[in-house]
Amino acid sequence: MGDISTNLMQGLSVALSYYNILFLVIGVSVGMVVGLFPGFGPAAGIAILIPMTFGLEPTTAIILLAGIYYGAMYGGTITSILINTPGESATVASTLDGYPLAQNGRAGPALVMQALASFVGGTIGVILICAFTPALAKFASSFGPSEYFLIVMLGLLLLTTMMGDNLLKGIISALIGFAIATVGVDAISGAQRFTFGSPELIGGIYFVPVAIGLFGIGELLHCIHIGLHKKQGEKLKVSFRSKDFWPDMKDYVESKFTFFRGSIIGFVAGVLPGSGATIGSILAYSVEKKVSSEPEKFGKGEMRGLVAPETANNAASAGAMVPLISLGIPGSGATAVLLGALMMWGLQPGPTLIVNQPDFVWGLIASMYLGNMMLVLISILAIPLFVKFLDVPYRLVVPVIVVLCMVGTYALHSSMIETWLLILTGVLGFGMKSYGYSPAATVLALVLGAMAENTFLQSLIIGDGSMKIFIERPISLVLTIILLSVIFFTILLRVKKMLKNRKLNAAVGASA
Amino acid sequence: MKLLKKALLVGAVASLAMTPLTGTAASGYPSKQLNYTIAFGPGGGNDLMSRTLVKILKKYDLFGGQNIRVENRAGGSGAIGFNHVAKQKGNPYHASSTSGNFLGTPIVSDTGWTYKDFTPIALLAQDAMFLVVRSDSKFKTLKDLVEYAKTNDLKIGGTGAAGPERVVAGLFAETAGIKFTYVPSQDDGGLITSLTSSSLDAIVANPSEVSGQVAAGNFIPLGYSERKRSTVFPDVPTFAEQGYDFDFALPRGVVLPGDVPTEIRDWWVDTLKKVVETPEWNEYLETKGLSGNTIFGDEFAIYLDKTDKDFRGVLKRIGVIK
Repeated sequence: MGDISTNLMQGLSVALSYYNILFLVIGVSVGMVVGLFPGFGPAAGIAILIPMTFGLEPTTAIILLAGIYYGAMYGGTITSILINTPGESATVASTLDGYPLAQNGRAGPALVMQALASFVGGTIGVILICAFTPALAKFASSFGPSEYFLIVMLGLLLLTTMMGDNLLKGIISALIGFAIATVGVDAISGAQRFTFGSPELIGGIYFVPVAIGLFGIGELLHCIHIGLHKKQGEKLKVSFRSKDFWPDMKDYVESKFTFFRGSIIGFVAGVLPGSGATIGSILAYSVEKKVSSEPEKFGKGEMRGLVAPETANNAASAGAMVPLISLGIPGSGATAVLLGALMMWGLQPGPTLIVNQPDFVWGLIASMYLGNMMLVLISILAIPLFVKFLDVPYRLVVPVIVVLCMVGTYALHSSMIETWLLILTGVLGFGMKSYGYSPAATVLALVLGAMAENTFLQSLIIGDGSMKIFIERPISLVLTIILLSVIFFTILLRVKKMLKNRKLNAAVGASA
Repeated sequence: MKLLKKALLVGAVASLAMTPLTGTAASGYPSKQLNYTIAFGPGGGNDLMSRTLVKILKKYDLFGGQNIRVENRAGGSGAIGFNHVAKQKGNPYHASSTSGNFLGTPIVSDTGWTYKDFTPIALLAQDAMFLVVRSDSKFKTLKDLVEYAKTNDLKIGGTGAAGPERVVAGLFAETAGIKFTYVPSQDDGGLITSLTSSSLDAIVANPSEVSGQVAAGNFIPLGYSERKRSTVFPDVPTFAEQGYDFDFALPRGVVLPGDVPTEIRDWWVDTLKKVVETPEWNEYLETKGLSGNTIFGDEFAIYLDKTDKDFRGVLKRIGVIK
């Protein structure tokens, strides 16, 4: 513990400069706004703002971008509660009881409790980061190419099996990402692949334009397609002067354990590669319903049903920072974009980062403490203000975001090829979204594709061409077993489901 | 009006007085803004060196009071940015910094330019390589590695398939008369963990990448690939002094577009000689673990020829290029 507090003090001395605090405030506020708008998540928000951080110090830039990342978790819930529209996929579970609460006239207490829940989840998450990151970083120094390959595979496997409803579509989405990742110089042979003589493609396809295209333009096109721009802005009024704005004693007492359960579940889900905030929040909700003595109340405006997913998604967004910092392996679209930002600043995430750049790592973690404090204040005191943003008609928001996406992409490398790529992937993202494919799997596979390919080939070179290396090294063996069991259970569950359906069909057929 | 005339007159007199001091025929240079192109993205090694250099030029007013515009033109491992500068043939108001890819990228890719399309000014720092082993391994000297390689499959890692790391590993093996398996990593982080995890026997890496692990006592550098010992790590012996007669370092220097007049080249050589004397420059070398052995003008051109030949030679012998 002593170690952690010294490290944190060191971090606070970095984070508490006026300059860093200023950009932290900007980051978390932008995050709140990004979270508010449906179809516009933290991944797109971070990607678009990357070029605008060029003039900053690396630590400041990352503090700002990370602020957007976890700030979005706060903002996303506001719309979940008020208009039953999650601003972000990680806040879908918050609509289940959040919206009924608002319908019961308890919008005020729901908003305050979600802010508190987010704060507790975020803060517990950050405390656990402090405890786990150095340990994992130390442990990870015994990870070689074979271990990295297996972790990447496990992450992608979990993402494709857990996220989408359709396994095949998830796998196809990931394969699209792998395909894009093959462009450029092959790190093993040095050969150029699919560059078509264009020097701009030698370095491969940079994933930020692809991420902005898929998450930003693609989502916007989808929102226009479903007619969101035609909807009149709903006039929402929330005032914290009224007496029933604040939660009562019963709310606090009832959910005191929920805070901790949700935080732990969320954090674990965040640390695991490929799961993250969305799964963490859904998991926390169902666990809470299971342990409750009155599960029938859930879904009808139960405070615990809001607190559980809210603590979980914030703890998960903190948890996802652990593998990002200590292994350099992101678990979601948003952390993948953060990874890109880190690398752009010459900060190479992995076990060495915490040794070589302790000021940066602890400064970032300390800024997350401060950021969560700011967010709880902002989201309680300034909710009426943020709700005003929702009055802006969607048709006015869209062009602004499109312009930001285009300018931001061009500003990255002043490259027209990348700007065209943005438009192309925007259309692709629209198609993927409309037909139930997973843009997050594509971006993650694109980011991890080169790493997966290289570590696989390195393992084979080291193992003299034999796959034995994946079972000879002890950590590799454990990972291989986990990987195979995930595959085994996925297949088992599917077969079971199929048999059940067949039985059902047979029964239906017999009765007919 | 009168005041303006006076100011002009003073200026003219002053410039007249200055001319003999700054050089023979570079009079009037610089009279315009300088465009400093960085062929890589912000945050990387080349970016840091370029920005440090420009900061020093501005701080000590070494560019004749003219503005210096810095621009990152990243892409294609330097192909885009260097191409932009190469196209400004004869224009002395463009400059760029070189690093490993300045030689490496044209060798492996069809870029449309080579180092010959530039006017070399100065080599300001050397990007030489360390050969590093784990401190708990049985290798204490290069000789131990050579002995081991005679009966075992020695595995040496480095960043990239055709980069300077591979050239250094290849030259070492050639001079020692041994065989080894080269394991390329995609990035520096992956390279370091492949050694910490005991997946490899040794790695070739940039001193700045491993200095943290060396300071922490996890890694030991056994050889340094420059001809002279590094000014920052004077305790690490060179390959040559241990009997493996080769040296290889990539140039971190300054180039102008091709066909720039000799007087202007000399003006830049004089100016950069002042830059390397500043405390800011030495602090930069220190923090990045770069060696401060400098070469100017023609000597730099000869150095580029030799390094390019070594680079191509090794890559050809190991079959990466034809």
